[in-house]
Amino acid sequence: MPKPGSSPESIDNSPDKGRISRRVLLGTGWCGFLLSIVGPALANIRFLFPNVVYEGPTLLKVGRPEDYASGTITFLDEQRLFIMRDPEGLRALSAICTHLRCTTGPFMPPTAEWKEDHSRCPCHGSIFAKDGRVLQGPAPRPLEFYRVSLAPDGRLVVDTAAVVDKGDVLKV
Amino acid sequence: MMTDGRTSGIIHRVTGSRLWKSVFRHGYPATDLDRMSAMFTNFFLHLLPAKVHPNSLRLTYTWALGMVTFYLMVIQFVTGFLLMFFYIPVTDLAYHNMKDLQFAVSFGLLLRNMHRWAAHGMVALVFLHMGRVFYTASYRPPREFNWTMGVLLWLVTLFLSFTGYLLPWDQLAFWAITVGTSIAGYPPWIGETIRTLMLGGHQVGQGALLRFYVLHVAILPAMLCLLVAIHFWRVRKDGGLSRPEGPSPKSTAIPVAGGRFVPGPQKTYTLMEVVRGTSPMVGAQRPEDEVPAWPHLLFRLIVLFQVVLGVVVLLAIVFDAPLEELANPTHPPNPAKAPWYFLGLQELVSYSALVGGVVIPGLLVLGLMGIPYIDRAREGEGIWFTSALGKRIAAWSFVGTIPYTMGLLFLNARFGVRRFAPEAPQGVVDLLNPATLLLAAIVAFSVIVGWRTGSRRMAAIALFSAFVSAYVLLMIIGTCFRGPNWDWALPWL
Repeated sequence: MPKPGSSPESIDNSPDKGRISRRVLLGTGWCGFLLSIVGPALANIRFLFPNVVYEGPTLLKVGRPEDYASGTITFLDEQRLFIMRDPEGLRALSAICTHLRCTTGPFMPPTAEWKEDHSRCPCHGSIFAKDGRVLQGPAPRPLEFYRVSLAPDGRLVVDTAAVVDKGDVLKV
Repeated sequence: MMTDGRTSGIIHRVTGSRLWKSVFRHGYPATDLDRMSAMFTNFFLHLLPAKVHPNSLRLTYTWALGMVTFYLMVIQFVTGFLLMFFYIPVTDLAYHNMKDLQFAVSFGLLLRNMHRWAAHGMVALVFLHMGRVFYTASYRPPREFNWTMGVLLWLVTLFLSFTGYLLPWDQLAFWAITVGTSIAGYPPWIGETIRTLMLGGHQVGQGALLRFYVLHVAILPAMLCLLVAIHFWRVRKDGGLSRPEGPSPKSTAIPVAGGRFVPGPQKTYTLMEVVRGTSPMVGAQRPEDEVPAWPHLLFRLIVLFQVVLGVVVLLAIVFDAPLEELANPTHPPNPAKAPWYFLGLQELVSYSALVGGVVIPGLLVLGLMGIPYIDRAREGEGIWFTSALGKRIAAWSFVGTIPYTMGLLFLNARFGVRRFAPEAPQGVVDLLNPATLLLAAIVAFSVIVGWRTGSRRMAAIALFSAFVSAYVLLMIIGTCFRGPNWDWALPWL
């Protein structure tokens, strides 16, 4: 429906020239209102992400180097870690399955089906080799190795926040 | 009989009082008009129509599945509120609260059992109700949006169930959160953020328990109430329950023009009967074809509620809700199994977390919501499977999926990608596994059915039936044929 003031001729002569139309005013108002909602909405979402968490430490003390004999794999189930020692040194392998974070079981000797030492995850059947490789199952990535270091008191420290290459060995 | 006389005198006094009349504005209705009026003016009864079509009352059409689900929800609310008096969502206490409910609280075990079995019932019945609505093509216009609401209700029910079984903080709870939130972490880019949001941190612990508790007792129930309200309101506004068109016993004299009710000249109509409009509520149905909801619908519903409550109480008395050992963050149970309704999903996830846990469920939900917008034909509303052809297609889809799925699982066990190419990138495993191959085959089958029959309805029947069949099969496999380390096992060994 044509409104007064909407045709080009009448705009020029209109006494309302230069004034803001009701439509623009309301449109601006609505936009402002909607924009004003965005801030609080984002604030609410941000609120849900804690700034401080009271979770377990990522630095784990796992005893002394001499606790682990050469050529052994020790399963520290409380820490969800394997500590491996071979002539080259010490390594820490995560026991957290890369599929959906279940704890994999201890390493078992080779069988007819699996020709090397292997660890199995009870949740969805992933199987891992000693170097973390996925032998079978849905796990998308190899198990992770964590950095191992010696604390000043001579104890071993595993940093579960620091993932290292599988060749990274602590020589002791 | 002086006592009787005095009693009825007292009753008369009470029901005649101003207070009583201010609450109950009608006496006990004696005529059909009064009964309809009572339905119309009562807050609770207003949810129901004043008159209903007899075809909507047929048990073999609806099986009352939606109503039973609703009743189970009511039971969940009542038992849930009561359980909250004895439950503290703290990791050190939650498990012991369960034990207290079992041994130290009067009727605590019964209430917890009722809460658990009614939850299982809800999950099963929501799905059966969806199946009924789908197979009778009740999502036809104008009910498309209500079907979408129904899909959302199904999701909220599953989330309620998921958040609920985490609360006891037993082994099942702990590892279910671990696995469930890890699946949520799989979508690219936003996955980790979602996981952090769910856990309130990075590890499964106190933060996660509290968040799941708040979701379970406040946020999800609020969403459920809102969605149920919209769902029921739409049922009423969209013309009541869908029903087969068909001759009704009393249809004779009233003229019908263009399939729409036209008031007859010799009849006086009450307000409710002459509401005009284009909504199907006043569509083809004629007031004479309908019966008053009081007593025909109302009394059926009262009896139904008693039956549902009776069954839940009986189940709660006979079977105890499971409680595993106290949560142990270092050792998952072996095998770690989800509840039965998630075991099909767990089976899919055991091939690929991304495909089985994110892609397929996502497509499934979108596909379900889209059904009424893709299949826009109007044939067959209210008729099971639409036609004889529909029945055949459904049967073939149900049966045909089974050997195909079994074949896939067998081939995967013998010739899975990692067997031949242990170093194959994860992308290949995500692409070539039983989950994706099953999805591809079902979609292809549905497209072929649609193309051959020229009917999207038939394509939808093929798709829906094949998915249901495959999921039920996977559920059975997950329940009975998976043992320690998720290896194949026989239930009787």
